[in-house]
Amino acid sequence: MPQFIRPRIPKLVVFLGAILIVIIAVLVWLWSVYGYRVNQYSCTNYAMGAYVQQTVYGTNAEDAAADAAKAIGQLENLISWRIEGSDIQKLNAEAGTNWEEMDEQTLSILAKCLEVAERSNGAFDPTILPVSALWDFGGDNQQVPEESMLEEFMGYVNYQDLRIDEEEGSASLKYHYMGVDLGAVGKGAACQEAVEAYAEAGASGIVSVGGSVGICGEKPDGSLWNIAVRDPNSGEEKTAALGTLSLESGYISTSGSYEKYFTEDGVTYHHLLDPKTGYPAESGLVSVTVICDDGTLSDALSTACFVLGLEQGVELLESYGAGGVFIDQENHIFLSGIAQDAFELMSEEYTIEELP
Amino acid sequence: MKQSVIKKADVVLIAALLAAVVVWLVWPRPDGCIAVIEQDGEELQRIDLSSLVEEKEIDLGGSYEVRLLAGPGYIEFLSSLCPDQVCVRTGRLTKAGEAAVCLPAKISVRLEGETVGYDAYTG
Repeated sequence: MPQFIRPRIPKLVVFLGAILIVIIAVLVWLWSVYGYRVNQYSCTNYAMGAYVQQTVYGTNAEDAAADAAKAIGQLENLISWRIEGSDIQKLNAEAGTNWEEMDEQTLSILAKCLEVAERSNGAFDPTILPVSALWDFGGDNQQVPEESMLEEFMGYVNYQDLRIDEEEGSASLKYHYMGVDLGAVGKGAACQEAVEAYAEAGASGIVSVGGSVGICGEKPDGSLWNIAVRDPNSGEEKTAALGTLSLESGYISTSGSYEKYFTEDGVTYHHLLDPKTGYPAESGLVSVTVICDDGTLSDALSTACFVLGLEQGVELLESYGAGGVFIDQENHIFLSGIAQDAFELMSEEYTIEELP
Repeated sequence: MKQSVIKKADVVLIAALLAAVVVWLVWPRPDGCIAVIEQDGEELQRIDLSSLVEEKEIDLGGSYEVRLLAGPGYIEFLSSLCPDQVCVRTGRLTKAGEAAVCLPAKISVRLEGETVGYDAYTG
């Protein structure tokens, strides 16, 4: 009897040992692939009239995300013209009357806006509010304004009458009825706030506010960050991506005519107004995505490029050292200032063309 | 008689076990997307889309009377009384990481899952 039992014990040990090795191998594999998710934190909330989505990596990811959300809220309270007591609301209320003292942050955003306004020759204009309020895209009263009204209010749109005194820390609008709307840059500026909050907390992460994106640090697995560029004409399924950008850092903003629009008497009007005409810009473009190292600038530049059109838009981006993906109405894609392999086209509906 | 510690049958068994584990790891799993429905950042519902066998309407009510349609592997905004209709035009969500939002109602739907292809969307 004993000589029969003896060999069975080591056999069982070997067998269990083998199972143990398999289990350990599986755990190691799972750890190597998904381990970084232990310190991953994702959350969503609303700010700047948009959907804020954060994915943060690090041991204090959750705190970093909370700090970012708080910073975005504070920024909104400074720069939204809709918020009572904000710097911009006060600036607009004092238009034509007084200089208004304001936060350094608001002034710095205003200064960046003015710079893009100048360099784009007014294709981007932060003082568009009198006219954009008439159209009220996405609001309860969206409509084509009467021509006489539009003409009258166009007289109050001029970025040159927005003045900044950085020494005094104040700004003013020269005439009554003028108004600043930072809606075109608020989302990018908010991304920058979030990125700064992550950096301060020693975390890495990616934030999107509406269609603007900000990148902070390195992805835990060492790969590049993948940002999907929405397909403007994906019909029913507008969530489809036409391509992806693989980036190490920076801020990404898109201005597209498909974002906000309405149809009246069979004509479709989109929300990207040309400050020169007061009507939706017609530059032959459907969407412009800009990649830049500043969130406010990338937002302002994408708006300016959409209004300017391909050729002048490319020139403007080059002067800023920024990258761009331009999509025109014929489904042609033009890449400017970004490496060929940084953009991967995924839709067969589009073709990448050489810049003219 | 000298008996080998490991018999041929044991080797076969261990090999089979290993093979089973490898197949389990490599086997393509269904996307198994989870739709997370949130209002102003608060989670309202969580639906495992891969477990649905037929379409299902979700009435979220509210002043915009938002209705969603979920089916096997997809979810979409069916209707909303909001003026911009961006949520309805967003269309069907099918891949993890995608999201649709009704800003006026502050309702968002996003798909969570293992196969997050993108870190963020622009546009």
